[in-house]
Amino acid sequence: MEEASALFTVGPVEISAVTLSSWVIIALLALLSWLATRNLKDVPGPLQCAAEMAVEGIENFIAGTLGKEKARKYFPIFATFFIFIIVSNYSGILPGAGQITGFAVPTACLSVTAALGLIAFGTTHTLGIRERGLGHYLKSFLKPFALMLPLTLIEQLIRPLSLALRLYGNMYGEETVTHELYNIFPILLPLVMNVLSLLFCMIQAMVFTLLLAIYVEEATAEEE
Amino acid sequence: MTSGTIALAIGIMMGLCVFGTAIGQGMVASKTMESMARQPEVAGKLQTAMILAMALQEALTIYGLLIAFMLIGKV
Repeated sequence: MEEASALFTVGPVEISAVTLSSWVIIALLALLSWLATRNLKDVPGPLQCAAEMAVEGIENFIAGTLGKEKARKYFPIFATFFIFIIVSNYSGILPGAGQITGFAVPTACLSVTAALGLIAFGTTHTLGIRERGLGHYLKSFLKPFALMLPLTLIEQLIRPLSLALRLYGNMYGEETVTHELYNIFPILLPLVMNVLSLLFCMIQAMVFTLLLAIYVEEATAEEE
Repeated sequence: MTSGTIALAIGIMMGLCVFGTAIGQGMVASKTMESMARQPEVAGKLQTAMILAMALQEALTIYGLLIAFMLIGKV
């Protein structure tokens, strides 16, 4: 649970368990996608089949909000967020995950989720400006009327914060509850929370991606 | 004395925080299920909307949780 303390240092940079775990997850995901797409065939093998299912599932999920065309165009962003978050969330329920030193669930740390939130914030506005042009995009803040500007700005600034806090709060809460249950009675009792975690981890990843999709949709919407 | 009061405050605050969200989420869920029973063909869309609405409500509880964490540091 001691997330912030440094495991070892590389030069002046302190590497904590969270950093290490997210690097490992990123490396594993990169390796897996390299293996899955190394030689693509018309008749897919098991790994390619799984990858295709994942890609198609995520694309349909985003297309529900963004529409087919934009979903295809911005697919990499959403898929990256979704896959990284879901794998990080699920990494917490691996057997013995709480007992390994040097392992911590990345999304149960506020720094990681804050980073994700900031990237989401940047993405939304970059895409908005790129789709509509700077002038038009800035003008869209003045709609429906100019007096709403402060409220709109506050809302925009709250968004990354609430994205980050939602993910962090859920994952940290879940980790803490599991840990407490483990302290009460280590056999079978944490399993209760783990079963719920299977559901919640999925939902949190979905919610993050869905909200980001809605923000992007709002930022890049065609003007009437 | 002070630290006891803060601890009490955390308990009461989290209770109230969860109370409101619980009512709200219950309402969302009950209405969604009603609509799903009435129109099973839009169940998929409703489910997405339901999860989204619940997530937005949940954020409010998590703001409370954040304050609780900040207060716990002072106990």
